[in-house]
Amino acid sequence: MLLDGLLTGGTYALMAAGMALILGVVKVINLSHGAFFTLGAYVAYALAGRGVGSPIAAAPLAAVIAFAFGVFLGKSFVNAVRSHPFALPVGTLAFALLFEQAAQMVWGPQPLSIEAGAPWIGPGGLVIRRWGVIAFVSSAALLGGLKWLLSSRPGLPLHLIAEDEEIAGSLGMDVEAIRYLTFGGACAMAAAAGALLSPSGAVTPTMGRAPLLLSLVVVIVAGMDSVAAIFLLSIGLGIFGNACAWLLSPQWSYVALLAAVCLLLSARPAGIVVPAGRRD
Amino acid sequence: MRNAASFRAPKVSLRGGTPPARSPWRGGGSLAAGIGLLLLFPLSSPDAFFLDVFTTGFLLAAFAASWDVVGGVSGQITLGHALPFGAAAYACALLTTLAGWPLPLAVAAAVLLAAAVGAGIGAISAPLDGPFVALLTLALGEIAHEAAVGHTFFSGPGGYAWGGEGGIPVALPWRDASPFSSYYAALAFLCLASFGMLRFSRSGTGLILRAVAGSPITAQASGVPIARFRRLAFAAGSAFAGAAGAGFVLHVGRATATDLSLELSFQAATFAAVGGRGTIVGPVVAALVLHVLFQGFSLPPSARVLLYALTLLVTLRFFPGGVVGTARDLASRLGGKDGARPPRRRVRDKPGEGTP
Repeated sequence: MLLDGLLTGGTYALMAAGMALILGVVKVINLSHGAFFTLGAYVAYALAGRGVGSPIAAAPLAAVIAFAFGVFLGKSFVNAVRSHPFALPVGTLAFALLFEQAAQMVWGPQPLSIEAGAPWIGPGGLVIRRWGVIAFVSSAALLGGLKWLLSSRPGLPLHLIAEDEEIAGSLGMDVEAIRYLTFGGACAMAAAAGALLSPSGAVTPTMGRAPLLLSLVVVIVAGMDSVAAIFLLSIGLGIFGNACAWLLSPQWSYVALLAAVCLLLSARPAGIVVPAGRRD
Repeated sequence: MRNAASFRAPKVSLRGGTPPARSPWRGGGSLAAGIGLLLLFPLSSPDAFFLDVFTTGFLLAAFAASWDVVGGVSGQITLGHALPFGAAAYACALLTTLAGWPLPLAVAAAVLLAAAVGAGIGAISAPLDGPFVALLTLALGEIAHEAAVGHTFFSGPGGYAWGGEGGIPVALPWRDASPFSSYYAALAFLCLASFGMLRFSRSGTGLILRAVAGSPITAQASGVPIARFRRLAFAAGSAFAGAAGAGFVLHVGRATATDLSLELSFQAATFAAVGGRGTIVGPVVAALVLHVLFQGFSLPPSARVLLYALTLLVTLRFFPGGVVGTARDLASRLGGKDGARPPRRRVRDKPGEGTP
């Protein structure tokens, strides 16, 4: 159970890192992040129905699709209404609901599942889900790649925009383009996480809500600077969520996450590192 | 409302420096015409289905206006406004059926409960701003929704399991309300509630709330206890939402988990965004037009939510001030008016405006 939480949490970290990226560079709270997670899972399901039963194959496809949607959303909506504090949360939530309902119309509201393959038997009779391990390893690899990217030269514009967008603009960077590309990339990360995690649970239209909240909690607590902190915290929350689900009932882990969001927000009203006050 | 309007801090008289409170009857001509049309509508012997659509529409419109008290007038964007609505609905159902209270008493208790719930949400969210209020209220609403979905927490007489997806029935003193009486009762409720909310939003308290929404820091610097006023706005808006919820449950006869759903909160925000935030009447008109339009074609629920989301996205993208607000700005710009005259209040009665 603990191991399962660890594996799941590792994949959630991929999504949370995307959330942090959006919050840092685009400086918005993206409530549609969960929808991209769901999108990834449905892409994996659709592929599994066509005989490609591997989330590893589904993840890149889901990422490309989500990147396209994300760039569209980032370019034509988020960038356009960034200065309206009302439009952003409500609009991104609208997009999430739009996607949830569309998924419900296409695939139906019932939970779907993907054949996960036989589990591996580890040392000491430990049963490990095969795809859990694969998902964990690939997410860890992707996160490592992200960390490398951020610390290398191509990642510099992202840091600079997060720091001060005016200076970035005056240095000749196309701030708008970098913003929507980042948005798309982060959405792709969420979709990849969704595809990788799809065999571990039921695929439903609203499955993205819990990971969305988890990413929010992670971003609020861990901040946006350290990929490693996000990774560790996601694992912690994955284990915590699994413990809740196992000790009480599955929906309690969702409620616990919601309660965590409430508590965190009321405990640290200004604690989230959004430089929103700078934007006038 | 009274005691908060008379808070001690400001040295400037609140009433003195501001223009006299506008009469809610300003620009009432077209409004009266609209109400007249709605009063006449049942006499054209329409389908019972359409009467039902309109009845629900009236209650939703009151709900949308109550969202506007919180999200528009006081500027605290709530995405959990279904919580007081559903709390009142559940309270009504439980009190009449389980505790056997008489209906009027149960309704009064439900409205009070909704106000208390609102005051609680307001107290928690008062220190927050902007998207974080949205986040917090969303989380609170979802917790309530999960609690309502997940538990068959009461079992009624006769061994039925209540709660969960099936909801809880209300014990109504009447058998089958005729669609006409429901229609007129809901319409009367909508008129009364909107009038009350309009009065509230244009009173001294409403003015202070708008000031807080405009710039919390300025308001605080001039001595307004913003936390208290935000709490008050939440309590007032939630009381009206609770009244709408009680009305809804009387009409439908059953409190279900959908009364607490995120989709419902989101609908209210959509109506307000389309109709123009902070105008109270705008959301009412938008709610009526959109609801009748989408429900009248008897679309499946998921298609309806999808259309609402689409409408909202288009509105936010192209009319950030709401369809009505943008139209009004445009009209006043075309008319060559400068800002000296207060914005016209009469543009919002075009029925076609809410269409995506």
